[in-house]
Amino acid sequence: MFRSPGVRPGGAPPVTRGDAHGIQIRDVWLNRGPTPLFCGLSLDLTEPRIGLVGPNGSGKSTLLRLLNGLMAADRGDITVAGLNARTHRRDLPTRVGFVFQNVDHQILFPTVREELTFGLVEQGRSRAEAREEAERLLALHGCGDWGDRAVDALSEGQKQLVCILAAIAPGPPILVMDEPLASLDLATRLALAARLARLPHQIIMASHDLDLLATFDRVIWLDAGRIVGDGSPGEVLPLYRAHEMARAAAQDTLS
Amino acid sequence: MMSGYLAGHSILHRLPAGLKLFALALLSLLILPMDAPWRLAGALVLTLAVYAALGRAALARVGLLRPLVPLLVLMFVLQAWAGDWTSAGLEAGMASVLRIVLMVLLADLVTLSTPLQHMMDALETVLRPLRPLGVSPRKLALAVALVLRFVPVLLSAWHAREEAWRARSTRRPSLALIPGFLADTLRLADRVAEALDARGFGRGRGPHAE
Repeated sequence: MFRSPGVRPGGAPPVTRGDAHGIQIRDVWLNRGPTPLFCGLSLDLTEPRIGLVGPNGSGKSTLLRLLNGLMAADRGDITVAGLNARTHRRDLPTRVGFVFQNVDHQILFPTVREELTFGLVEQGRSRAEAREEAERLLALHGCGDWGDRAVDALSEGQKQLVCILAAIAPGPPILVMDEPLASLDLATRLALAARLARLPHQIIMASHDLDLLATFDRVIWLDAGRIVGDGSPGEVLPLYRAHEMARAAAQDTLS
Repeated sequence: MMSGYLAGHSILHRLPAGLKLFALALLSLLILPMDAPWRLAGALVLTLAVYAALGRAALARVGLLRPLVPLLVLMFVLQAWAGDWTSAGLEAGMASVLRIVLMVLLADLVTLSTPLQHMMDALETVLRPLRPLGVSPRKLALAVALVLRFVPVLLSAWHAREEAWRARSTRRPSLALIPGFLADTLRLADRVAEALDARGFGRGRGPHAE
């Protein structure tokens, strides 16, 4: 694998600023099993911090998976940082990093350095380049001496930080996160949230942590694949909270 | 083979992974026909000396053999019984047990001193001749690497199930735990496949793409 200026391996067009900003979802249809989930979903995701809320099974995780090419829409188009998700699936990891909830399900290697270099090597970098980039990234995030550390010896919060660094290592402008902080204690969650706030990346995060989402630029409320609310956290979150509390009360009387 | 890499800077750490794997294969071939217990015991003492030289953390890994003890006892008893409890039978039993322990410890010396990435590279080189048969060396090497990585994760999944059992029962955990554990394993496999995909593995770029 080699690179020369202007020609990217895999034939992906070079990213240019302007036409390659954020994510455009156009008339997306997707069935989950026999039941339709998304029926003509259209969204422009350009704000730096976007939160997704909704009950379990509402389609948050599915929507996130469409953005990284983990799933493909049955119909419709998704453009991610200027790339068509369907035709440029192989290049999507360099545009969208994905962070899952459970660290044990996504850390693939026993040491931190190997974990960070893996995605880079998968994107066609040489071992030496990947190693150098991993060290640079660790130093940049104040973990300069983590390279040799065994992943199993890290705390939960440190593991999640490794997952985040591994996702941004190939240099994607967008970071997609599926409840990344859910299993962490409060102090760790706040510390990681502060780190995330400092990242230059566009972040799209599914979360049940309404306090965290209150600091975001935009919140989208999904239910059964439909958009119920979409706007600033100040507009959407109070309505969502009231709705969920009513739902909880209804469930209570049913039992 | 029992748990992963142990960071360090010993001579053993600096040897190339391919050489270590080759030496391990060669030693295994030498040990296999050895049947004098005193020779095997001597080799075991030498191996333990290497562990001791690597430090306390390495020596602690010898303790990870403990789950093997019932199996080793069973092996010894079977061998001795097959030899009618004569001294030759007892000796054969001793030899089998020592041989297994020696081989496991030698193999773990390679695991603990070799970063997984180096192990994968060495395996890829060894597997390269299989490429004309349609085998992807990198995929196979990664599969081996993932097995090593997920042994501790699977162990902790088993312990979690066991703990949930103990929390509600005074009886010993039974075979009833196995189906749930298998379901955990399959779920884990799905998630890991997804994590690999999310990082671009198998999407037709990277070193395995021809």
